[in-house]
Amino acid sequence: MNWQAIILTLRLALTVSAVLVIIGLPLAYWIAFSRRRWKFLVESLVAMPLVLPPTVLGFYFLLLLGRGGAVGAWLNRIFGVTLPFTFAGLVVASVLYSLPFAVQPLVAGFASVDRKLIAASALLGASRTRTFLRVVLPLSLTHLITAVVLSFAHTLGEFGVVLMVGGNIPGVTRTISIAIYDDVQALNYASANQNALFLLIFSFVILSLVYALNRRAFFIGTVQ
Amino acid sequence: MNQVSPLQEKARAADRLLLRITKQFAKARNGAAGFCLDLNATVLAGITILFGRSGAGKSTLLDCIAGLLPPDSGRVALGSEGEETVFFDSEKGVNITPAQRRIGYVFQSLALFPHLTVNANVEYGLVRLDREQRRQRRAEILQLFHCDSLGERKPDEISGGERQRVALARTLVTGPRILLLDEPLSALDVGTKLKILEDLQAWNRRRRIPILYVTHSPAEAMRLGENVIYLEDGGVLAQGKPEILRQYAVDEF
Repeated sequence: MNWQAIILTLRLALTVSAVLVIIGLPLAYWIAFSRRRWKFLVESLVAMPLVLPPTVLGFYFLLLLGRGGAVGAWLNRIFGVTLPFTFAGLVVASVLYSLPFAVQPLVAGFASVDRKLIAASALLGASRTRTFLRVVLPLSLTHLITAVVLSFAHTLGEFGVVLMVGGNIPGVTRTISIAIYDDVQALNYASANQNALFLLIFSFVILSLVYALNRRAFFIGTVQ
Repeated sequence: MNQVSPLQEKARAADRLLLRITKQFAKARNGAAGFCLDLNATVLAGITILFGRSGAGKSTLLDCIAGLLPPDSGRVALGSEGEETVFFDSEKGVNITPAQRRIGYVFQSLALFPHLTVNANVEYGLVRLDREQRRQRRAEILQLFHCDSLGERKPDEISGGERQRVALARTLVTGPRILLLDEPLSALDVGTKLKILEDLQAWNRRRRIPILYVTHSPAEAMRLGENVIYLEDGGVLAQGKPEILRQYAVDEF
């Protein structure tokens, strides 16, 4: 089994999930509660990766963030950072590509919290932050778990974006899905089978855990 | 208009809520008339019944007082012995947040936090106190409302009447300067309701603050109210002692 690719993939999926929680929570909060007229534009932008092929995202990523790109050149000059064909670049691209998988469950969770509970919290003197931490977030806990797992699972199974942005560098950007592709190209079916089976079983176990957790959360009354 | 009951003349604090509000709360469309709240009223300390049929603007009025909805124009202020706290003033651009108003508001749905225990619900508004003070205040109020045995249970594990008591306790424990009750007892049987009303009246005798109690039950209005504001189509139709309701041939009389 290609442990190097497996560990790299898990590291990527964990990093991306963590970044998506940090970005996703405020973004989803804004989408769920803002009354701006142009909110629909932000919602559409967030949902774009659902409909676009990863090649489109990867292409513009390279164009913008490549060494010759407007943002890429600036990043390189100021911070000495190069994104294409690096692990960091893979994280940035994967975060963008998995954004809807984190944001949409969170928006659904926040929007399903009874507005009267939010009003009651404010009337009892709570700040917005306290209301969010004590009322909105706990009542959206199952949605948060769903968001994390979907982000993780979606990154785990990513192929196109990784190939476009990361290339195929062992230990740096060669994830398990790329390794499988390589194996198949080289007619190395035994190795491909091992890695594919690992991904299959691992994904199934993760998803089962989540569904089991959500069930339990439902019964102990975390969900209304 | 505006008769003052003897009870209120004895009131130790002369708190009163001064209201001048206009607020469009349903847009006119397809020939249906729009509704506009347009009223000028003073709510004295003690229990004032806000009476009126559904759609008269009762809940909109409470939301405007609490700061959950901004009035289109007007002024909402609490007057207390020469001092005045302005919550909203469209001319001066004042509109303080619900969290800063210290207004108690019990919704018809109660809005108890379903994921928190009774104790945690009641202590929710006491975050500024230390742990021991919180515990003490919570124990006092739960005893006053006869729910000291519920402590560690969640709202969906207690009865409807108990939930109403906990909701009242959670709001009153914070020492609000104004209390707004939007039909909090409408779902209860008469016996349970009367007992809770007694507890509320006991609290009212101790702490005289303006209480606005929404109901469309004339029986409740007569029993509980020291004053009545009769709202119709967004305006004050009549204001005075509960007996004034008789003049308006309200259905249930």
